[in-house]
Formats: sequence, C-alpha cells, structure tokens
Amino acid sequence: MTEEKTFYQEYEVFSKRTPSSAFQHQFSLLAPNEDMAFILAQENFMRREPVADIWIVNRKSIRKMDVEEKMTLGRLDNKDYRTTKGYGYLKKKWRQYEQQILDEKEILSWGGERK
Amino acid sequence: MTNLHNAAEEEQLAHFMQRIERGDKIEADDWMPEEYRLTLIRLISMHGISEIMGALPEKEWVPKAPSLNRKLGIMAKVQDEMGHGQLLLRVTEDLLLPYGKNRGDIMQDLFNGNLKFHNVFHMETKTWADAGIIGWLVDGAAIITQTNMLNASYGPYARALQRICAEEVFHAQHGESIIMALAEGTEEQKAMIQESLDRWWEALLMFFGPASKETTGSSKQDLTIKYKIRTKTNEEFRQLFFDKYIPRILSLGLRIPDPTIRFDEESKLWSYKQPDWNEFKKIIKNGGPRSHARLNLRRSSYENNAWVRDALSVKVT
Repeated sequence: MTEEKTFYQEYEVFSKRTPSSAFQHQFSLLAPNEDMAFILAQENFMRREPVADIWIVNRKSIRKMDVEEKMTLGRLDNKDYRTTKGYGYLKKKWRQYEQQILDEKEILSWGGERK
Repeated sequence: MTNLHNAAEEEQLAHFMQRIERGDKIEADDWMPEEYRLTLIRLISMHGISEIMGALPEKEWVPKAPSLNRKLGIMAKVQDEMGHGQLLLRVTEDLLLPYGKNRGDIMQDLFNGNLKFHNVFHMETKTWADAGIIGWLVDGAAIITQTNMLNASYGPYARALQRICAEEVFHAQHGESIIMALAEGTEEQKAMIQESLDRWWEALLMFFGPASKETTGSSKQDLTIKYKIRTKTNEEFRQLFFDKYIPRILSLGLRIPDPTIRFDEESKLWSYKQPDWNEFKKIIKNGGPRSHARLNLRRSSYENNAWVRDALSVKVT
C-alpha cells in the first residue's frame, strides 16, 4: 500500500435550502480537509441560493453501486397492488354511492385544521 | 483471445451508442469509449481553465471600477468565474481518473502549453468599456455555446452547466448595465464603447472557432455532435449570435465595424467579413497579445501559494 501526501481530497457536498427541507446533493469539490471543504462548499455552490445547513462527505466514505448492482434496481411493472393505481376503480364505485374517494390529496390534508 | 476481446468491446460500444441515441445520461463511472472520454476531457478541461484564465482580464478592472457598486458587481462576477472553473475542473478530474492525473497535472498542462485556454481570453483590455463589452458580448457568446450543451449526454457536465448558465444571466445583465450607462452618457463615453466594440469585433467572431477543420487542421465539432455533447456547429453558433446581438448593438446607436455585413432574407444567414484566421491560429498556440502575461500571472500565483498546499497536504493510504 503506497502512502503519499496530497492536498487534493474529494468531498461530496449536500445542503438544504430551509431548516425543514431535505438534504440535496449539490456537487463535489477538492479540499485538503473538512474545514476548508465547508468554506469552499459555500464559495463554490452557495453564493446566492438560501442555505440552512451543509454536509460534506469524503468520497472515501461513500460505498457506490457498481454496474451489476445497479441492474438489480430495475422493477417489473406488475406491482399495481402496491400503489393506488391498482385501486383506481374505487373512484367510480364511490360515485355510485354518492361519495367521493378519499384520495392522497384528501387524506394528507387531514393533518391541518378541521374544516 | 483477441477476437473475443474485440467482440466484447464492440458489443459495449454498440450498447453505449444506443444509450447516446436514446438520450441517456452517461455518468463518470459508466463504461465509455476512449474517444468519448478524451473528447470530454479536452472540451471540459479547456472550458474549466478558460473560466479561470477569463477571470484575469476582468479582475484587472476591480481596482479601476468607476464606483463602489460597479466594484462589487465585477468582483462578484470574477468570483463566479473562479467558481465555474472549480466545478468544471472537478468534472474533468473524475474523467482523468483512469489516467491517474489530478488538478496539479491540469495546472502543469496549462503552464507547459498542452492545455489551451479560450482564444478570447488572450486579448488585452484597455478601457472600462471593455469590461462592459466582455460581460455583454463575450459572456453573450459563451451563453450561446453553453446553453446548447445543457442537455449534453455527459450528466456531470450537463449538471455543471445548469449552475453556470443560471449565473451567466447575471453576468450578461451586469455587462448590459455598464454598456447602457455609457451609451446614455457623454459623447466621450459613447465613443469609448464604439472604440471597444471595434477592437473586440474580430475576437467575437473568432470566439466560436472556424466553420470547418480546414482552417486549423483539426476540429472537435464533429465528435461533440456525434456524441450528443452539443447539437450545433460553430457557424450555427455564430449566426445565432448575430441574430441575437446585432439588432441590440445597432439599437444603441453603435456601428458594426464590418461594412460588408448583411442579412440574406432568402438563406436566413448573415454574410460577414471573416476574421484573420491566421491570427486565430497564433492565439490558440499562446501567441496572443496577453497570452504570456496571463500565463505568467497564473504560474507565479500558483508557485507563490505552493507552501499553502504543502502545509495543508495530508497523508493518504
């Protein structure tokens, strides 16, 4: 195993726009250490966009998928029973009973105030 | 054995070309033919280093900007250009991985003349109007070529360009603002823009490169189109530049320093006086008016900062 000194380490940069949003991958950068990586992340990718938090990850800590592994991610198109698509006929049924279907939009709105 | 190897490689190549035709995005770790990799390395390393070298003629105007607001504006632009350089060098470095090369090698290639920077950044700036012309028309020309590659087949380059083009809009308007102030100013200020446009016109034509490879003996445009990195030829870019900018230049009362230029309604093409392509050949071999001075500036700052890189280097296994 060879050991050499380098200034150039690869970091992947993630950030979120607001405290409540999810982290998003931005880009990669070269930096000699984590402190410099934070400074460069802001300088390189966040000169204008609002930003609430930043993560940097040394690429050495990332386990990537190889080509064969990526091929296992493909899905067969036969899983309607896992999604609302498989139950689409209910809309018409409920209409027969003069009721509206409780769809995703309706159900996710229940977290708010009672209307 | 060799035949088997060839057959496997041919199959990989056919599969790769199918992906290109389908509009798939190729990523850094995907298999790619060496011709594709080398085409990308040449294009993106040149683009990246040009962003950095392009900041040099503009940074000359930071201390000389006519107001604090103008100083802040041009400083922000110079910082953006360096940021764009960082993004693009990163894309290049991932492509260079199989060759064991890193950013230090890219800088050495620049210094020893193996890596070229864009012909437009070898030119001299003389007046504040040049800062305006660069932002308005040089960045305008860059926007034309870069937006054409927003859908490039190479994913990391396309993503870098998305970020870059968003900021180029600010650069173009920053240049327009300088030009507009001068165009609505005194006679002396108006004359300053015209004089600047006269000097930059040839460089603006050269910006897009010659129409065919006959001029310099080689051209990347066929390869970049074949691999769907871009869709338009150099001449198509130049024509689009004329379409967009000639009416705007004329509307400000400026004159195009080419009495022969005209738009042919039938062919929908502009005819114009060709720039001196021999001068172009000289410039791209680092023989332009400011080639050596800018390379020396870059080299000396790289050498002066060597101790920082050395002090912050860490051992990796």
